[in-house]
Amino acid sequence: MTVKYSIRKEDLNINPYDVLRYLGYAKDRITEEDERMVDECIEEAREFLSPKACYDRYHVELMDDNRILMPYGEIESKSLSYNLSGCKEIYIFAATIGASYDRGIKTMSARSMAKGSVFNAIGAAAVEEVCDRLNEELRLKSEVLGEKLKTRFSPGYGDLSLDNQKGLFRVLDPAKHAGITLKDTLIMAPEKSVSAIIGIYDA
Amino acid sequence: MNKIDTSNPVRKTDIREIIKDGFTFFEGGCGTILQGKGLKPGEQPEKWNITHSDIIMGMHYDYLKAGANIVKTNTFGANSLKYELANGEFPLSTVIKAAIGNAKSAIKKSGRNDAYVALDVGPLGKLLKPLGDLPFERAVGIFKTTIKIGVQEGVDLILIETMNDIYEAKAAILAAKEVCNLPIILTCAFDESGKLLTGADPKTVVAVAEGLGVMAVGVNCSVGPLQMVDVVKELSEYASVPVVCCPNAGMPRTENGKTVYDVTPDIFAEAFTPLVEAGAQVLGGCCGTTPDHIKAMREHVLTLTPKPLEEKKHTLITSYTHAVEFDKRPILIGERINPTGKSKFKQALRDHNIDYILQEGLTQEDKGAHVLDVNVGLPEIDEVEMMQEVVTELQTVTALPLQIDTTDPIAMETALRLYNGKAMINSVNGKEEVMEAIFPLVKKYGGVCVALTIDEGGIPETAEGRLRIAKNIFKRAEEYGISPKDLIVDPLCMSISADPGSADVTLDALCLIKEELNGKTSLGVSNISFGLPNRDLINGTFFTMAMQRGLNAAIMNPNSREMMKAYYTFNALKAIDENCMEYIEHADELAVTEAAPTADKNVVPAASGVETPNDPLITAIVKGLKDRAAAVTEDYLKEKESIDIIDNYLIKALDIVGKGFEKKTVFLPQLLMSAEAANSAFSVIKAKIVASGSKEESKGKIVVATVKGDVHDIGKNIVKVLLENYGYDVIDLGKDVDPEKVVETVLKEDIKLVGLSALMTTTVPAMEETIKQLRKSAPDTKVCVGGAVLTQEYSDMIGADKYAKDAMETVRYAEELFA
Repeated sequence: MTVKYSIRKEDLNINPYDVLRYLGYAKDRITEEDERMVDECIEEAREFLSPKACYDRYHVELMDDNRILMPYGEIESKSLSYNLSGCKEIYIFAATIGASYDRGIKTMSARSMAKGSVFNAIGAAAVEEVCDRLNEELRLKSEVLGEKLKTRFSPGYGDLSLDNQKGLFRVLDPAKHAGITLKDTLIMAPEKSVSAIIGIYDA
Repeated sequence: MNKIDTSNPVRKTDIREIIKDGFTFFEGGCGTILQGKGLKPGEQPEKWNITHSDIIMGMHYDYLKAGANIVKTNTFGANSLKYELANGEFPLSTVIKAAIGNAKSAIKKSGRNDAYVALDVGPLGKLLKPLGDLPFERAVGIFKTTIKIGVQEGVDLILIETMNDIYEAKAAILAAKEVCNLPIILTCAFDESGKLLTGADPKTVVAVAEGLGVMAVGVNCSVGPLQMVDVVKELSEYASVPVVCCPNAGMPRTENGKTVYDVTPDIFAEAFTPLVEAGAQVLGGCCGTTPDHIKAMREHVLTLTPKPLEEKKHTLITSYTHAVEFDKRPILIGERINPTGKSKFKQALRDHNIDYILQEGLTQEDKGAHVLDVNVGLPEIDEVEMMQEVVTELQTVTALPLQIDTTDPIAMETALRLYNGKAMINSVNGKEEVMEAIFPLVKKYGGVCVALTIDEGGIPETAEGRLRIAKNIFKRAEEYGISPKDLIVDPLCMSISADPGSADVTLDALCLIKEELNGKTSLGVSNISFGLPNRDLINGTFFTMAMQRGLNAAIMNPNSREMMKAYYTFNALKAIDENCMEYIEHADELAVTEAAPTADKNVVPAASGVETPNDPLITAIVKGLKDRAAAVTEDYLKEKESIDIIDNYLIKALDIVGKGFEKKTVFLPQLLMSAEAANSAFSVIKAKIVASGSKEESKGKIVVATVKGDVHDIGKNIVKVLLENYGYDVIDLGKDVDPEKVVETVLKEDIKLVGLSALMTTTVPAMEETIKQLRKSAPDTKVCVGGAVLTQEYSDMIGADKYAKDAMETVRYAEELFA
């Protein structure tokens, strides 16, 4: 059964260095002023954040020739087979910072493209932070059960086609549990959303 | 409209009557029960209506025995996005028919003759445009298909549930209204913050839902009963219809790899005490609840007394996030989105310059407007299409509610239908013909309507005459089923330069309307000073006088210093502005702007790693100082030629920044800030060129577009801004653009260079297709491609002429090509 993961927007730690990195700032050229600017923008951006995520645990079966029996059917992927080696179960999760943030980027961009670009980068850093926090919670849960987790893996990585989004969305139903939807192009709406698979193996 | 006849002789008492008195009970969870009986993840529960009809029927039966009197059909996800209409193993109509059959059989078996069948309609799992890719009308169509089948099978009411987007809820309610006359219940999923996923608060949901005419409104799913109390309180504070409450059995959590809901039936039942006190009257459960929960809850609730249902008098309009209430605090309605008397605005409409219109909206928001009036009527443009586009675009950049201002009933209906929220309508008046055109729209789509006191006989000269028209409008509105709270009377003000007594007549009319009709009022305040010098002075004082007489709203220019002064001082003096906080902030701002009118502030810190020649304009652009760049340009224009300024200052400055960007000493936000500063300098030059009547210097025309299927437009917009800075005419086709449209524009405008952007691997094929079509029809046109996923390799593979790794490289390529 899909479980919701809640985190308050106030509790998201968005690292200004990550934001500046997304914006292409060279590390040795970041000034104190840049950092202060991003920190201010992060607080402004926080108002638009509505972080949400959901996850569930499923069986998975690794077979010959890089074939994998996923909860939504059989697929073939060398990269995912490699990533999941030794796993009999997986978590599937989807995380987002919400639809209001898309509007936030639009509003800011209409006022200033420069600020819009900063908002865009903050959104990217924020959704990664939601993923990291959820990932950590799942790690702690598994630790208690004597399990370990692989690195999270998303459709689009390596040879795992975006088509897998359809299956992920069918079994997890993140539209219902976290307001994350799939467009016909297999891209998610809200824009700042992530879906991923995490392998579980015995420690 | 082919409505299905639902006026069959009713077997039992109309649910509309039952629901108002005492408590009514819905069933509890469905999906979670089916999962307990073996429904697999990803398996569609609605199929069980056919494959496991005994289980579905049994579930309904158990709920009926537990005391539920409204059965929810197992059709939450039964829509044409998930089921084929008539083909395959599980056609949509078969699934819905089976679901209703199961519900009816269970009722029959239970022997209950006081139970009703609600067609359960859940969300479509897609976000509506512009946030997602589902067009509003398509959503309406999908809901209609489902509801039509349900109505044919004889359901008693339509339950639209678990909605987390008010826009989608509006689509579903409209669909139901256009298919049948059955009562509609809306319940939404408010999250822990008490809002829908797309931002609407409970007040907004009530305003929109009641505007559309639902029988009851409420909350379901998302959280447990205790977390729902505040939402129910707010719903009940504003709702005149019964409030529904169907919580989960707490929040699900995992325990040893298993999902559990941990609120037991007894705890669940107890938790309804504060919910009933808060005003919930139609009760049930959602995920994790069982017949035992409903039974315990019902038994407990029947020992309590429901809060009596009252007609609420709040006058509310909303956007997709929040409501604006017309009450003690005067509401400022920004009037600037209107071509009347504004040549620049007219030109923007003719040029289809939506950005200009959006900027007008944003400026008014920044200046303190609460609502934006939208008037885009111009004889030479298609007003319906323009209205549709401007309303949609405005609602992507601002969360302020809009006032739709048009005399064209088709433009009005189009806007009200597409509007995300409950709009303000400008306007109706005492003319019979106008009321006949507008009131049915208010009834169908909801809205608060401005009523002008003018009729076939003109504008009465006395306050009493204007009151008489207002009374007539109220009476006619009532006949259409429109509540007086959804009308705002504008008793009209005329210039005192033409009629010295006109101010008093208007002010007296404000009082009469308040005293005799308990009506809300609005005025186009600035009309009072027409024909006089320094109009702002008169406007400010008249505004204060009108507010003192109870004016609820002013259609005004938020840039007006005197009007804003009047507004803030009035609120402070009348204790509307708590602790004078807003006044103090306004006074501080005034002091700053009066001391240094061109105070300039950077959005992001300027680049530090670039050498700047010692010139004020170049420095201003490199440092990204918009206002300063414009001011210096004004000065330069007194002695220098436009082309000299563009070539030797603007472009030089941009080159400095551009080179820094390429060397990674200047970064994206700084590059954009400089581009914006250059833009503001450029607009000053442009204005001068236009004023002098000579033709603008253009280096060439370039088309830019984000390809079909792709909606990322940040990269494309950056390229556009830079190209414009360098003096090119850019035709921006937007995002998600069909290949045919690109070809058509290239041929029509004789374009030498096309810039295409794609951000996703999945849309590279669309880019390839666009290039292919261009090659066929316009072989001489060059194509430059860019975007996150592109590489030189990809670019070669799809046959582009140039791969530009960033915006500057596109500019360089254009410079080469047009040299």
